[in-house]
Formats: sequence, C-alpha cells, structure tokens
Amino acid sequence: MGFPLLSLILFTPAAGAAVLMFLRSDDAVRWTALVVTVLDLVLAIALLAGFDTTTHEMQFTETVPWVPALGITYALGVDGISALFVFLTALLGSVSVLASWVAIERKVKAFMVSLLSMQALMLGVFSALDLFLFYVCWEAMLIPMYLIIGVWGGDGRVYAAFKFFLYTLAGSLLFLIGVIALYFHGGETFDILALTAQDLPFRVQSWLFFAFLIAFAVKVPMVPVHTWLPDAHVQAPTAGSIILAGVLLKMGAYGFLRFSLPMLPEASVYFSPLMLALSALAIVYGGLLALAQDDLKKLVAYSSISHMGFVTMGIFALNIRGLEGGILQMFNHGVTTGALFLFVGLIYERTHTRSIADYGGLMKVAPVYTVFLALFTLSSMALPGTNSFVGELLVLSGGFAANLAVGAAAVLGATLGAAYLLGMYRRVALGPASVGARFKIRDVNAREMVAILPLAVFVLWVGLYPKPFLEIIDASVKHLLAEVHDEGSGR
Amino acid sequence: MTDAELFHSIIASLPEIVVVTGACILLILGQLVRKRQEHFLVAASVAVVLIAAFATLLLASEVRPAYSGMFIADRFAVFFKLVFYLATILTFLLSRKYADIEGIGSSEYYVLLLFALFGMMIMASATDLLSIYVGLELMVLCTYVLTGFLRRDRRSNEAALKYVILGAVSTGIFLYGVSLIYGLTGTTQLNAMAEAVTGDPLDPGLLLAVVFIVAGLVFKVGAVPFHMWVPDVYEGAPTTITAFMSVGPKAAGFAVILRVFLNPLVAASDVWILVAVIAVVTMALGSFVALVQDNFKRLLAYSSIAHAGFAIFGVVAGGQDGIASVMLYLLIYAFMNLGIFGAVIMMRNGDFSGEVINDYAGFAKSHPGLALLMLLYLFSLAGIPPTAGFFAKFYVLVALVERGFVLLAVIAVLLSAVAAYFYIRIVMVIYMREPERAFDPALTPMVRATLAFTALGTIGIGLFPAWFLGLAQQSAAGG
Repeated sequence: MGFPLLSLILFTPAAGAAVLMFLRSDDAVRWTALVVTVLDLVLAIALLAGFDTTTHEMQFTETVPWVPALGITYALGVDGISALFVFLTALLGSVSVLASWVAIERKVKAFMVSLLSMQALMLGVFSALDLFLFYVCWEAMLIPMYLIIGVWGGDGRVYAAFKFFLYTLAGSLLFLIGVIALYFHGGETFDILALTAQDLPFRVQSWLFFAFLIAFAVKVPMVPVHTWLPDAHVQAPTAGSIILAGVLLKMGAYGFLRFSLPMLPEASVYFSPLMLALSALAIVYGGLLALAQDDLKKLVAYSSISHMGFVTMGIFALNIRGLEGGILQMFNHGVTTGALFLFVGLIYERTHTRSIADYGGLMKVAPVYTVFLALFTLSSMALPGTNSFVGELLVLSGGFAANLAVGAAAVLGATLGAAYLLGMYRRVALGPASVGARFKIRDVNAREMVAILPLAVFVLWVGLYPKPFLEIIDASVKHLLAEVHDEGSGR
Repeated sequence: MTDAELFHSIIASLPEIVVVTGACILLILGQLVRKRQEHFLVAASVAVVLIAAFATLLLASEVRPAYSGMFIADRFAVFFKLVFYLATILTFLLSRKYADIEGIGSSEYYVLLLFALFGMMIMASATDLLSIYVGLELMVLCTYVLTGFLRRDRRSNEAALKYVILGAVSTGIFLYGVSLIYGLTGTTQLNAMAEAVTGDPLDPGLLLAVVFIVAGLVFKVGAVPFHMWVPDVYEGAPTTITAFMSVGPKAAGFAVILRVFLNPLVAASDVWILVAVIAVVTMALGSFVALVQDNFKRLLAYSSIAHAGFAIFGVVAGGQDGIASVMLYLLIYAFMNLGIFGAVIMMRNGDFSGEVINDYAGFAKSHPGLALLMLLYLFSLAGIPPTAGFFAKFYVLVALVERGFVLLAVIAVLLSAVAAYFYIRIVMVIYMREPERAFDPALTPMVRATLAFTALGTIGIGLFPAWFLGLAQQSAAGG
C-alpha cells in the first residue's frame, strides 16, 4: 500500500467539516469550506494525473481491517469508472460552496458542515471496495441531505425532505438485505472484487438483481419511483440541487455498473429488455413532463429523469458504445445539469421567482448570464460540439444496436428535449426585456463566474475532444463488458 | 450443600451480594441524609454499582455454577450485568436534578433502583425456573413502586396500578407454566428439563407449559400481545424510571428469554413459529402506532415496543449469531435510548414538561449542540449508519439471513423504514420549525456527562463495532 491518496481525498472534506464546527464568523466558514473543497479538487486532479489508463485493475487501493469477525474491511480503490466520478464529485463540491456563498444566509456553519460531510460520503461511495463500507456511505448520506433539503429548502421543504428520505431509505434497506444475502452466497465476504469473481446460480442472481434494482432505481431515479425527485429538487437550495443532480443521481447508475452488471451478469443480460423498456419510458415520460412545466427548477428536474433514462439505456444496452456513452453521459449530466441548477439558483437569488412566465428578455439585462445559459441549454439538448452530443450519440448507437424500438423512443425523447429546452430558453432570455423593468438584475459577478467557468470548460472540452475522458473509462468498460458477456452467455 | 460448595456459590454471586448489601446499608443511611445532601445518595449508589461491576469483571474469567444448579456466573451473565450496570448508573446520574424538580428526592428511590438491579442480576444468572421467578419478581416489584413514585400525579398512580395488576396476571401465567413443567418433567432446572424431554413428538402438555412461560416473559419485554401496559406505564412513570425500564428490565427479560428459549426444549418445538409471529406483530404494532403519537414518552414507549420486536427477530434467528445479535442490540439500545431519554429528562424544567413533541420546535436554533445530540440518538434509533443503531440492526439481519429467514429480514427492514418516519419527524420538529418559546434545559454536570457518554457510545460503536461485536459473540458462546 503506497501513499493513501484516496483516504486523503475522503478525509479532507470530513476533516474540513470538523474544523468548521469551531469557527465563529460566517465568512471564515465560507472561506474555509472553499479552501477545503478546492484542496480536495486538487487532490482529485492528482488522482487522475496518476491514473493508469491502460489497465482495468483497481488502483490506489488501500485495505485496513474494520470488523474482522464479519469480514468487513475499510477498502478503497478506483478503476476508470469510479475515478471519473471521484473527480466529478470534487469538482461539484467546490461549485456548490460557491453557489451557496450568499444564497445561504442563516446557519451557514451548519450548512457547510452538511455539505462537506455529504462530499466525504459521496467520495466514499465511489471509492469503496467493500460492500459494507459502500452501504454505510450510501446510507449515511441521507442525514446531511435530509438536513440540506429540510432546513435550507423552500416552502414545501419538510414534505420534500420526508419524501426523499423515506423513498431512499425503503429502497436502500432492501438493498441491504441483498447485500447480506450476497455476503452468504458469495463466501462470507464483503470484498467487492471477490464477490465479482463469484459465479452465482441464476435464481439467486435474479432475486438479488431485483433487490438491488429497487435501491438503484430510486436513486437514479427511474420511472415509476421518480416522484421524490421533482419535490426534492424544487425545494432544495441551489447547492443541494447541484449535489442531487450532479452526483447523487449518478450513484444509482454507478450501482448498476459496480454491482448489478459484474456480480449478476446473467440476470443483467436476462432482464436487460426490461431495463431498456423502463429507460425508454423514463426518457419519453420525463421529456413530456418537462415540456409541461412552468417552474424553471421543475423543468430541469424532469429533464434529469429523461437524461438519466439515457444513462440507464446506455448501461443496459450492454455493448461497448452504449456503456461508454452511458458513463460519459453520467459525467456530462453532472456537469450540465449541475450548471443549469446553478443558473436557476443565480436568477432566483435576484428575482425570487422561478416561474418561467415571470421572465423574458433576460438577454438585454444580463447578457453574460444568458450566453452561458445558452451554452448549457444547448449542451443539455446535446448539440454537436457540446459534451452531451458525444455521450448521447454513443448511447443512441448502442441503444439501436440493442433494440430498435428502444432506440426510436430515445430519439423521440431527444426531440422532446430540444422542444422544452429551446422553449425554456426563448421564454427566459429572448423577447422584450420584461424582467429588467420588474426586477433589479445585475449580471453574473466574479465569484459566480468562478463557479461557472470550469463547468463551461468541461462542456466544450468533452464536446470537442472527448478522447481523454473516454480513455479513462475505456479499459474498465471493456473489462466490465467482457465480464458480463463471458458469464452472461454461459448460462 | 457442603461448606466448599457454599463458599464457591458465594464467590460466584459476589456482585449480587455487593449490590444487595449496599442497598441495605443505603436504606439505613438514607434516613440520616439531610436535605441538600442528596448528592451523597447518588455518589454512594454509583459506588455500589461500580464495586459490583468490578467484582463481576474479576469473576468473568471462568464459568461458575452455584447454589445447586439454580444460578450460574458465566460470560453470558456478565455481558447482561454490564448492560444493567450501565443502565443503572446512567439512571442515577440523570435522576439527581430531575428528582429535585419533581420533588421526589427521597433515599428510597435510589435503594429501590438498587434492588431492581439486584433482581435483574439474578435473572441474568438464573438457570432454574424458580430462581428466574425470584429475580423477576424482585425486579418488577421495585419498578411497580418506582412507577408510582410521583405520588401527587394522577397519571403516575394510574400507571402504577395498571402495571401491578397486569404484572401480577402475567406472573400468574408464568408460574402456571412453571408448575406444569414441574408436574410433567419433575424438575425446574433448565438443563434437567431438556434431558427429561427426549422423546418426540413433544407432549402437548409441555407445549402448553412453554406457551405459558413464553407469555409471561413476553409481558416483561413488552411484546405483542402483552404490550398494552407499556405506553401507559411509560407515560405515567417518572421519566428517569421510564428510561431505566426501557433498557434495564427489558434487557433482563431478554436474558431470560435467551436462556429459556434457546434451551433445547423450546428450540425443538413448534412454538418457534409463534416467536416469529410475535416478532413481526410486535414490530409492526410498535412502528405503526408510534406514527400518530404526540407525546414524546408515549412515542418512545411504542418505539421501545418496536425495538423489542426487532430484537426478537434475533431470537428467532437463534444460533450463536442470533444470540449475539440480540445481546449487541440490547447493549447499543442502552446507549441510544438512555441518550434520547436523557435529552427528554433534561428538558423537564420549570413549567416545561419535555413531553410534547411539538414543544421541541426550533430547539436546534437555541441549542445547536444539544439538538445535534438528539439528532444523533434519533438517527441511531432509526438505524441509519454510521451510528451504532445501524450496526445493531445489521447484525440481527445478518443472523436472520444466515439462517435462511430472508422473508423475515425483508419484513424487518420494511418495518424499520416505517419506524424511521417517526424518528425523523422529531428531527424535523427540532430542526425545521421556528421556535415558539425559550428553552432552559436542566443541564447539570451529571446530565452532561450522561449525554456525552451515551453519544460517545452511539457513534463509537457505530464506527468501531469490531470490539463490541467480539464481546457479544464471546459472551453468547457462554463459558
């Protein structure tokens, strides 16, 4: 075991949260939180820099016994897939702190502590190589997120927080039973890699597949267990929405990649038509719902359901293009939708309304804002040159290869996406400057720019030159696919 | 019994002798303590328990059967006694200020708690139905009195009366079962009972006897269908006593249940399915009824019913992991439940009762630190990691799945999702509502120490469960 870089990445925000507890002034809290998250981002970049893209093996591994009597260890490690999300989490961490700089006025300390503990736990989820550790991080996130939504959220925050909590809890608890069952079927170990190597009977696999599905589907969220998401998103403060959309939703998809596919390959192949159908449903249904929204945040929230449908479709297409596209799309969705929520938050801070009908002509009063909004809107629409184009194209080609009808549904969904996003942009940014008269709107300031720019950079970088990003995940995806199909077809 | 055997027996029961002697001395000294010197009573009581704990640990190294097979000092008993000591000492620490506020600062309060502890210790070590009975009765008689200790409070009187009547009935049922067993097997010793019944199918009379004994014991842990007394008694009793009852006597009940139920006589019988049903119904009832409670103490009463149900799941699992899971559960429950009760007791000050949940609105704003502690206990009770409550449930589930009771495990987790709702509702009131009044918690150094200690246990066992798990597993293995 070399230098414990992963532990450092994990414990930096955790230690930061502990330090915050002792600070008195709100400004000191904000600056410390920013320094901590930026430091964490630097560490995550160092992780990517030192990452070996030629192998699918777990890297930066660390193992310390935790509860030896039950075979539980504190085991960390990343492959290409998790490395990408460790980076995304760290990136959005800094953005969230900046996004809540003035938006959060009361109990700043408690908020930043929640935000930083959230980040530590999310990083734990992405780097855990022990199922128990994974589960603890996965579940413990409920506490800070519940508080973030419930304490700093909008008017209906209590209901939204409850709904979020109970949905995720009920899903995760069944996952826990699955984990324990897997533990006994897989030779009494929680070691993820050892469990992956196990060859379970098909009957066991299918039960476990559904136990896991419930937990992951709630987190993604897939239709029909998606109803907590709009509530949670609309009520959460901006940073909460960024974290929810940017990272939390990825965890469900990550669960499929890390557990369902490699550990239950036969069941994954067997049930992939079901998953593809559910994904197509989510894409179209989410798109239709987004089309009907007047609330900016709700629109972005429902669009997330649609976009995450693309992700799950890519994953369960079970071919190389679909998988790489799905994973890239997870990253893209994190960047783009994170940015869109940030933009909704920025304009809400100025006008205190989220109703699209209240806006119009924003272009004239806040040109910089609208230019960047255009960039992210186009990215969300998957226009060529932006990040989502690359991902969506891969997913679509993988989807068509898997099933024609599902591919067609996805194309329909993409068209719907263009409709609601363009409609949104037109009604918000173009036309006569009606908002300028009603609200005093200033354009984005330097601090907000700092939060926006890195996201914009990634939109264009991935859009124009996706190679480095695909390289990171390539070896891992190929290995994953080989695992699924070698074992999946061996039944 | 020869002199040597008697000597060994006395050594084996040294902790019990310490406690009962200490209680008797305090009973006399208590008459001499003047007003405003009640600190002495707390200190002396805690000292007695600490000496007993020391003696217990000294004896922990080997198994010591005593009193002609009526009593045993083994690791199983040691583990439970440590839980009892924990519950008793923390109750003493919480009681001082509360007793002042409620005007119940008489020495009998502490003496009765010590006697109840004595009864619980006998229960943990008893290996004969009769010694179980003696311990049980000693314990409940003390708690009857303690429940009615608020003499001028009608609820307290009513609770005590209810408790005495129902308790007496359950004792009657238990004794009837014991007499049946004695009539059929000619013995009341647990080991001899198992030997006497080798032939299958099991004698229907014996089954009936087992059902009666089960009923008597289930009453003591507050499981369905003998749970009706729990909410009323918990609500009426002084809060400190409620805290004590929900941890100590409940653990003692489980000690006996584990000893009796895991006896081959019961484990081999058809009664087993009854235990599974009791577990499911108990947890369901506790969880669902708690949803609609507005009184904090009543809510915690139902929550304690639900937790008893969860622990019974561990009994259902059986086997060494099953036993160990129940024991670990009770230990962790002692920490988190005494913690949350400590918070409720601390709120009792002036005209503030601390009993109405809505009164906690905005507590996080005025006392962020204390609110954070309550959050910790509540999430632990709900079983959310990384708190100890999660590990307690996790290990019970492991034991269940290991035995192939996957369906029961699924039921258990779904019901804990229901239960999570009402704990989180309290968090919501504390954190997400605006304060309606000023808070002035009765925070003495003793209460602070209790809260800090229970918080340490709640988070510490959650993060580093290995040692505690090992302890429970070793103790479950018995000798």
